[in-house]
Amino acid sequence: MVKAKKKPKRQIGKHLRLMAKWTGKYGFLLIPIFIILFTESYLRTIVPLFGQHIIDVILEGDKPSKLPEILANLLIADSVWQQLLLAAGLIIATALVRSIFIFIRRLINGIYAERTAYKLRNKLYRRLQDADYGFHSHSETGDLIQRCTTDVDMYKRFISEQVVQVGRLIFLVGLSIWQMSRLNLNMTFISLIIAPVLFIIAVFYFRKVEKMFHVIEDNEAKMTTHVQENVSGARVVKAFANEAYEVKKFDGLSRTYTDSDYQLVKKMSVFWSVTDLLSFIQFFMIAIFGIIYASKGIITLGMYTAFLAYAGNIIWPMRQLGRLVGDFSKAIVSVSRLDKIISNPGEYNDDEKNEKPEIKGQVKFEHVSFKFDDGQSDQIIDIDFNINKGETVAIIGKTGSGKSTLINLLVRLLDYQKGRILIDGVEVKDIEKHHLRKNIGFILQEPFLFSRSVEENIKIADKTIPEDRIKTVAKIAQVHDDIVNFEEGYNTLVGERGVTLSGGQKQRVAIARMLVQPKPILVFDDSLSAVDTVTDIQIRRALKKEWKDSTVLIITHRITTASEADKILVIDDGRIVESGTHKELINREGSYKRIWEIQSKIDFRLK
Amino acid sequence: MNDHLRDEEHFSSKKIDWQVWKKIFSFMKPLKKFIILGLLTVALLAVADVVYPYIVKFAIDDIIKPNIPIVEAGGQADFSKLNVLIYLFIGFMLLQAFSVYLFILFAGKIQTELAFNIRKRAFHHLQQLPFSYYDRTRVGWIMARMTSDTRNLSEILSWGFIDLAWGVFLIVILTGFMFVINFKLALTVLAVVPILVLISVFFRKYILKAYRSIRKVNSKITGAYNEGITGAVTTKTLVLEKENFDEFDGLTIDMRRQSVKAHMLQGLYFPSMLFIISIGVSLVYLVGGRMVLDPIIALQIGTLYLFTNYVWQFFEPVNNVANIYARFQQAQASAERIVSLIETEMEIKDTDEVVEKYGTLFDYKLENFETIKGDVEFKHVDFKYKVGEKVLTDFNIDVKAGQTIALVGHTGAGKTTIINLISRFYEPTSGQIFIDGKDYKDRSMGWLHSNLGYVLQTPHLFSGSVMENIRYGKLDATDEEVINAAKAVEAHEFIMKFEKGYQTECGEGGSRLSVGQKQLVSFARAILSDPKILILDEATSSVDTETEQAIQIAINKLLEGRTSFIVAHRLSTIVQSDRILVLENGQIIEEGSHQSLIDAKGYYYKLYTNQYSEDMFSHQQK
Repeated sequence: MVKAKKKPKRQIGKHLRLMAKWTGKYGFLLIPIFIILFTESYLRTIVPLFGQHIIDVILEGDKPSKLPEILANLLIADSVWQQLLLAAGLIIATALVRSIFIFIRRLINGIYAERTAYKLRNKLYRRLQDADYGFHSHSETGDLIQRCTTDVDMYKRFISEQVVQVGRLIFLVGLSIWQMSRLNLNMTFISLIIAPVLFIIAVFYFRKVEKMFHVIEDNEAKMTTHVQENVSGARVVKAFANEAYEVKKFDGLSRTYTDSDYQLVKKMSVFWSVTDLLSFIQFFMIAIFGIIYASKGIITLGMYTAFLAYAGNIIWPMRQLGRLVGDFSKAIVSVSRLDKIISNPGEYNDDEKNEKPEIKGQVKFEHVSFKFDDGQSDQIIDIDFNINKGETVAIIGKTGSGKSTLINLLVRLLDYQKGRILIDGVEVKDIEKHHLRKNIGFILQEPFLFSRSVEENIKIADKTIPEDRIKTVAKIAQVHDDIVNFEEGYNTLVGERGVTLSGGQKQRVAIARMLVQPKPILVFDDSLSAVDTVTDIQIRRALKKEWKDSTVLIITHRITTASEADKILVIDDGRIVESGTHKELINREGSYKRIWEIQSKIDFRLK
Repeated sequence: MNDHLRDEEHFSSKKIDWQVWKKIFSFMKPLKKFIILGLLTVALLAVADVVYPYIVKFAIDDIIKPNIPIVEAGGQADFSKLNVLIYLFIGFMLLQAFSVYLFILFAGKIQTELAFNIRKRAFHHLQQLPFSYYDRTRVGWIMARMTSDTRNLSEILSWGFIDLAWGVFLIVILTGFMFVINFKLALTVLAVVPILVLISVFFRKYILKAYRSIRKVNSKITGAYNEGITGAVTTKTLVLEKENFDEFDGLTIDMRRQSVKAHMLQGLYFPSMLFIISIGVSLVYLVGGRMVLDPIIALQIGTLYLFTNYVWQFFEPVNNVANIYARFQQAQASAERIVSLIETEMEIKDTDEVVEKYGTLFDYKLENFETIKGDVEFKHVDFKYKVGEKVLTDFNIDVKAGQTIALVGHTGAGKTTIINLISRFYEPTSGQIFIDGKDYKDRSMGWLHSNLGYVLQTPHLFSGSVMENIRYGKLDATDEEVINAAKAVEAHEFIMKFEKGYQTECGEGGSRLSVGQKQLVSFARAILSDPKILILDEATSSVDTETEQAIQIAINKLLEGRTSFIVAHRLSTIVQSDRILVLENGQIIEEGSHQSLIDAKGYYYKLYTNQYSEDMFSHQQK
């Protein structure tokens, strides 16, 4: 946050250009908006002149009208009463025109703002989907979501409301000053004494308040985190009988938050009362000097009332202008945060031209090495092995040894720097990514289910499959019985708005989902870890029966699983340290044998 | 569960429900002083708003007007009344600024303190709710009550309420004052006010409605981003980019349409008000101008000026009143939800006699707490959850202090229910549970829980340091005690490997530690609290083999000298327990030690042999 705030100052130009670029063709709507704004503001500055005309010309008589000539001429009539009628009619007519202008302007503005925001939201979504694996593993979900919502709103408000607001205020102030100068120059100067002071105070105040907002947000976050943890850890709280402690801690945090909030209120009360006082001092000066000028006949009575009205046009907007200056820096920060997402080219760039060969299932790693962009040493070192079509290979190794990275290279979630990975003799880098992934069934350790029904989740990759097929795959994945036990069976909603599935259930639904379309290559990234041993075996047996020709790569911690594979690779620190069949490996001194011995002693799960 | 899931729709009644508001207003009682002072200051403010144009009228009619003919005739202007005016002005300015200052302070005080009171009460109540409540209520639901609903209510009841009072005061004072000054012009102004009110109420209502539907779409969009981001890799592996995007596009189009509609309503509202007010102003010029010209009435110009001003004065208060009326209707949903939280019935609570003797959850009478031995006995216990079938029927067990009991069986066999009952997270539907020979309902929950340790399947840690997390087991433990507890469960070693050792932050929910590390920390926490009865729900998720071994050793340490109930998955844990209860459909179908159950060749034997995969077993035999 702090970093992001300092940087953009040097790049205001760049970010302004970005703002304009993102509005695209809709940016041109600003032209009619500003034209209407100008007219509208002009009409508003005429309103006090009607009062002046009525008082000076019609009621008092003989004084010059300050209305534009065209309008003044319209008000010429024989009797005073007729003149009054005409004036009243003209006031209403002007108001009508103004009202229509305002409405049209706001409508155009709304279309401009929402179209731009719509485009931006979609662009962000697309970018996020296309962003590569590295991007996603390095960013925080909450932060990205905030960018896509709060920052988009901030940007939208800036390019529509705030830019327009600034225009409106400048037009209004400028035209009011011009109108006043037509009435009397000295009085104009007197009317402008306090305005700059108000503006400066407002700028400083809103800057300062901005900082206080951060403190308040922090305090609120601390408090809500406490509630969140207390509620989700209710068992722990109750089991340790710490209710009193929790209440005390909460009261403390809630108090801190309340007090910091009240600090802001105190600042607010000073700001608003002081600026109110200053504004009224300005009015006061106009009123007093006006009395003297009007009494001496330097200005007319009607002009006097007009000056009082113009003063309002100038003074009140000053506080707002001060706030808008503060908002500008916020908008710049938002734009720079959004640009981080938008400027990401994504992984599908230039991918269209790649091949789409038929994939049968032979996989070959040739001296593959890989390191992360920010990494210092290789994560994967000189991996070399071959899997024939239909074979099963188990990969075993400690957490962090590089197992997942290895298979991420296969589906090109990551790209290796050295060596080659070949599928049926074609290097994966030459295969179009979508095509590659469609042919590889990849199940993650913590698979993600979309928040819709179980059934929709299973058929997400192919919405046309018949219902009985859904049940069949669910049975193969050993999740059918769980599903029918849910209150609403296959229609049960999962995810945020529905039931929470256990880790094992999620993994099994993910397997069912993958089974919907036949795949020549299957990859399990420890994706049966939360399933008990029996079910694990049942699933693998059923799979084998269903797809005996598929090549299978399976990452696991379970020796029982590994032992059934045609080949086992033991990975440590990014290297293959042992490989062979189960029989070969347990007769050889090494880490596989050691793990096997420990597991036969303790790792046995009963459910 | 379902009524909570449909919550947001559930609370949206249209009529004002005074019962609910009464309860909410009760939170404002302690703030009475500020409310009265707040009302007084906005009344002053309303007076100031009415007086200000009058000062100008005074200047016009009593100073400028009389001077004009004098000056025109070549005389000297008379400014003797200027002094009065200056005093009036200074008085007015001070009154105005001071009222604004106080009004903000008071409204702010009411807002912040009211929110504080509501949260305090809600949180306090949450701590007393039984576990069943947390089982069927989503965290998000509770969080929304504690944050957005509270904020909503406190804002409307402070700023909203005071704004409303100001609006009403101003309208009343203004109307009265106008009639005092000039009856006919007052009537002229009032001719347009009802139209203003109608327009305001109409638009405010629809604008709020429009914004509500925007917020709904917005939360869908946020949800879609969330899925798009957290499910990004899954999307890639399933190649769902296009489908997802099309769906998202549908949402954003909807958002755009709704928003433009809201812009349109907003865009119509202000111009219509402006137009009506301008008609009012014209009317005043017409009627008033005629009165100025009429030599008999000879209305003063200043009065005419005053009334054209007063027409404009109606704009803000009318707008405010309409706005707040609409918001009050909306805030009722928040009020209902908060009331529903703080009035959630406590299904499990200590009887008055128990509270009398042992104190409340927040204030133990430790002097009356008996020392616990650790005998646990279930006598004819039946249990069923609120919805669903009976889980336990006539369940009986008798466990002596210090024994280790392993609970074995399929999901749904009743293992979790038994440990929930022992912990008194739920109470038996019928039958009794005795601890040290006395029905546990005759002692307080505080007594039970301060003697009970609970280690969860998925360990829950709090944000804060490792030290603080372990200390949660015994709040007054010294650093040394904490470290000893960690050493006892083999957690010390990995903790010291962290750069900051025991001061390492665990992150929210312990997210910065691995699953295995979290488990060890939760063991240390349990051992520090030194409970007589220990409940252990073993984890099923796999950790790497070395960590697994450490956990195994720690568990053995943990069980020493305590009555323990274990939902067991690990063979070694089961083998070492004193008694194994094999459960099926809420019944004990087999019971005994590992060896005796194997010898019996019954259900347990079948489970045991089935699970132990054939080839592995044969390898071991060889």
